[in-house]
Amino acid sequence: MSENGLGRAAPLIYTLTGLIVLFLLLPLIFPIVLSISDTPFVTFPPRGFTLQWYGKVLQDPDFTSSFGFSVLLSTTAACGAVLLGTPTAIGLVRLSFPGKGLVQALVLSPLIFPSLVTGIALLQLFSSIGSNDAFLNLWIGHVLVTTPYVVRTVSASLVVVDPGLEEAARTLGAGRFTAFWRITRPQIMPGLVAGALFAFVTSFDNYAVSMWLFDASHVPLPMMMLSLISRMFDPGIAAIASLMIFFSLLMVLVLERLAGLRRAMSF
Amino acid sequence: MSLDLSGPSASMPASAAASGVAARRRNLLPALVLLGPVVMFLLAVFVLPVGLMVRYSFLQQLPDGTLAGGFTLANYVRLGAVDLYRNVVVTTLRISLFTTLGAMLLAYPLAMVIARGPAVIGRAITVLVIAPLLVNVVVRAYGWRIILGNGNSGVLNWALSSLGLGPVEILYTEWAVIIGSIQVFLPMMVLPLAAAIGRIDPAVEDAARTLGGSSLAVFRRVTLPLSLPGLGAGCTLVFSLTASSFILPALLGGSFTKMLGTLVEEQVLTVFDWPFGAAIATAMVLIVMAINLLYMALIERRFRSRATEAA
Repeated sequence: MSENGLGRAAPLIYTLTGLIVLFLLLPLIFPIVLSISDTPFVTFPPRGFTLQWYGKVLQDPDFTSSFGFSVLLSTTAACGAVLLGTPTAIGLVRLSFPGKGLVQALVLSPLIFPSLVTGIALLQLFSSIGSNDAFLNLWIGHVLVTTPYVVRTVSASLVVVDPGLEEAARTLGAGRFTAFWRITRPQIMPGLVAGALFAFVTSFDNYAVSMWLFDASHVPLPMMMLSLISRMFDPGIAAIASLMIFFSLLMVLVLERLAGLRRAMSF
Repeated sequence: MSLDLSGPSASMPASAAASGVAARRRNLLPALVLLGPVVMFLLAVFVLPVGLMVRYSFLQQLPDGTLAGGFTLANYVRLGAVDLYRNVVVTTLRISLFTTLGAMLLAYPLAMVIARGPAVIGRAITVLVIAPLLVNVVVRAYGWRIILGNGNSGVLNWALSSLGLGPVEILYTEWAVIIGSIQVFLPMMVLPLAAAIGRIDPAVEDAARTLGGSSLAVFRRVTLPLSLPGLGAGCTLVFSLTASSFILPALLGGSFTKMLGTLVEEQVLTVFDWPFGAAIATAMVLIVMAINLLYMALIERRFRSRATEAA
């Protein structure tokens, strides 16, 4: 067996890998570098050092209310996705019934379907039935695009749970729900937590559905950022970008800790 | 919960219960309880609105803003025949193709290290590849605007000028959209590719090396062909995501590089021509579906026939 399985080309492959990882990190590094620049506009290289832009941004009501709204929307959407996705995963993994393939394809289809188009279709539906509640519209759209992630992660942890254990509990007199709650639920908790977190992150980052459904008093963070890019030229915008990057990296650590990133991604 | 199935068969092991028509029929009630809500939800807010949208695309908007009933292909003809709009379709396909090719080249070294490198390094690279994926696309597009900025303010031009090289104008061209799209969608190529390479028995590569194959020959004759299913899945994902993106062309392509995503936003939210917008969105879905069908026809059939030959 050749050392580490990459053969003689290993040094070349590692060098390329390093360069490509750097390329992946470039757009995360420079907003942070520029956010500490003591200049009235975004310019490279940064001059001086200041944290004033962070202070300014954290006191900006537009930013804080948008952040709060996004947290509220993504938390409630993740709850909806877990409530809808968990029974779905159980049904698809444990039951065999006519038309199962069709249901499975339907449940996972929002993953492949372009979300931009899902958003346009929802906008047309909501305006034709006169649904003007932007929060409700956004919530439905976000539950729709995040539920398949919960179904995937919960299914992945269900298939490794031995159904015999739940059957044994049933034989010993437990009802179907009690058997599930006491035996299976604790075992699929990692998948459930991963699914909930992934749903939260996906919803928090979503623009493809939000861009059609938000209104002036319900502005998710990505839409706020998008409008700021065209009208804010001081390093405050770099500070907002940096805060969002730090928040995402925190989510990366939590996801990796609790669930393993690769499993959460279902690859 | 009143899901309990009375009778002696209720305690049958699931493996035995899963087979047989009677068991499948007995599963109908629990299936309805577990899957009914999600099916109703998806029919109401996914299948129905997408169906309505497709129907909309066959209507025509009159100059006074009212909709003409009936059935017309006028919106699709407009998309394909008017130069302005046809260029958008062609640009979308070209950017998606270049992004897919670029991602393909960059994905192999990463996927090889994830699948074949030492476990610690493989795991670290996996985290580094997935981490940017969780950073908002708007933020990453903003990062690229800082880097590619035209004139003297961009990081790239600053680096070039300190090397004595002239400034380049990349921002607001197709190249900016392609560079940004490769960075944003590369992980979607790396992950399925790494999974496919991980499934190749390392002994096969070792055997090829033992028989005197150079690193390049082993890659070209063994690793590459066996990784094609993962590569195909990655290409399908990257092409579909690029073809239906909005933020990247909006922030990096400017007003000169329009893609289907920016065109549909303009038609629906600025021009308010909903039937034409619906037709553009439907065209976007058709492109994505075509790529997925092509993948299934090319890769999956080829591998299935090979598996049957082997059996």
